[in-house]
Amino acid sequence: MDNLVYIIFICHVTPLALMTLMLRKRSRLLVGYMLIGIFVSLFVSELNTILLSQCGGDMLYVSTTVTPVTEEIVKALPVLFYAVVFSNDRDRVMPIAFATGVGFAMFENMVVLVQNVENVTIGWAIIRGFATALMHAVCTVAVGYGICFVKKKKKLFYCGTFALLTMAMIYHGIFNMLVQSDYKYLGFFLPALTYIPILIWHFKYYKTKKSRL
Amino acid sequence: MITLAVGCVAFGRLYQVVRLLTGGDMFNGFQLGVFGVIGSLLFLFSANFGAMDSLADDRSREFIKYRLISLAAPVAALVLYIIFVWFTDLPRSVKIASALVTVFVMQASYFHLKHLIFPDVDLGIIKCLRWYNLLALIYTFLCMAEMVVIGLGNETGILIVGVLIGSVMIGVIISAERGIKKWTI
Repeated sequence: MDNLVYIIFICHVTPLALMTLMLRKRSRLLVGYMLIGIFVSLFVSELNTILLSQCGGDMLYVSTTVTPVTEEIVKALPVLFYAVVFSNDRDRVMPIAFATGVGFAMFENMVVLVQNVENVTIGWAIIRGFATALMHAVCTVAVGYGICFVKKKKKLFYCGTFALLTMAMIYHGIFNMLVQSDYKYLGFFLPALTYIPILIWHFKYYKTKKSRL
Repeated sequence: MITLAVGCVAFGRLYQVVRLLTGGDMFNGFQLGVFGVIGSLLFLFSANFGAMDSLADDRSREFIKYRLISLAAPVAALVLYIIFVWFTDLPRSVKIASALVTVFVMQASYFHLKHLIFPDVDLGIIKCLRWYNLLALIYTFLCMAEMVVIGLGNETGILIVGVLIGSVMIGVIISAERGIKKWTI
C-alpha cells in the first residue's frame, strides 16, 4: 500500500482545489489558504520525521522544543507572502492567517489519526478539534498580526513579527508539553482560553469599525 | 511594544515553569524559554529603534560622541559572553543559544544606553524615559548575568537573577507608563 498520508492528502486536496475554481474573491482566497495550510502540514510532517530521527527519536524533546519552531515558521511563510505581494490590510491578512492555521491543523489531525488509528476515540477527536486546531489557528493569527505591518512600519515589522513568532513558538511548546503531561486537561483548555479573548476583540474591532462608517 | 516585551518574558518563564512541572530539565540543552528572552529584547529594541530613536537622533555629527559611548554596552555584553560562556565547558547547544541572546542583548543595550545619555534636544521624550531606559539596560545585563550563573551552575544565583528580572520588568512597565504620561502632558 502506498503512503496513507499522501492518499488522504490527495483525497482532501483535490475536491477542495476543484471547488476553489468555482469560488470568487474572498471565498476563493480563504479556501486557497486553507489548502496551502494543508500542503504546509504535509511538508512539516515530512520535515518533523527527519528531525525526529536526527534527535535520536526523542519524541518528547522534539515535540516540545523542535516542532514548535519549524511549524510556526513554515506556517507564517504563506501569510508573509500574501502580505508582501498582495495586501497587508489587517482585514484581509487575519482571516487568511486563520485559514492557514485551520488547514494545517486539519491535515495534522489526519496524519496523527493515520499514525495512531488503533488508539483514537471520539474523545480524542473532540480534543484534537477544539484544542490542537485552535492552537494552530491562534498561533498563526498572532504572527499574522505582526505581518500586517510589513509595508506600514518596516522597523516594527521586522522586530515585531519575529518577536510574535517567538511568542507563538513558546505558546505552541507550552501546549505540546502540557498535553503530554499529567496536566493535560489544562493543555486542552489553553487554546480555548486564548481564543475567546481574541474572538471578543475581533467582534469589538468590527463593531467599532462599522459604527465609524 | 514594552507591554509585549514583558509578555514575552512572562511567556518564556511560563514555559520554563511548565517544563519543570512536567519533569523536564531547564538547563540541559536548548529550550524554548530562551525565545521569551529574545522576544522581549526584540520588542525593547523595536520600541527604542523604531519609535524613540528617530525622535531623538537627527543623525548629525554633533551627537557622534554619544553614539560612540553607547557602543560600550554591546562591547561589555560581548566580553561577558566570551569570558563566562564561550570559555566554559557548557554544551554546544547552550553556547549557541547564549550567543543568540547576546546578539539581541547587544542591539537592545546599545539603544538603551544611547537614550540614557543622549541630550534631550527638543521633543522631551528622552528626558521623560530615562528611568525606563536605565531599567531596560539593567534588564539586558541581567539576561547576561543569568547566562553567566547558568554557566557557573550556581542555583542561588539563578534564583536571585530570576527575581531581579521579574522586579526590573515591573519597573520597566511602570517607568515607561509614567514617562509617556509625562511626555504627553
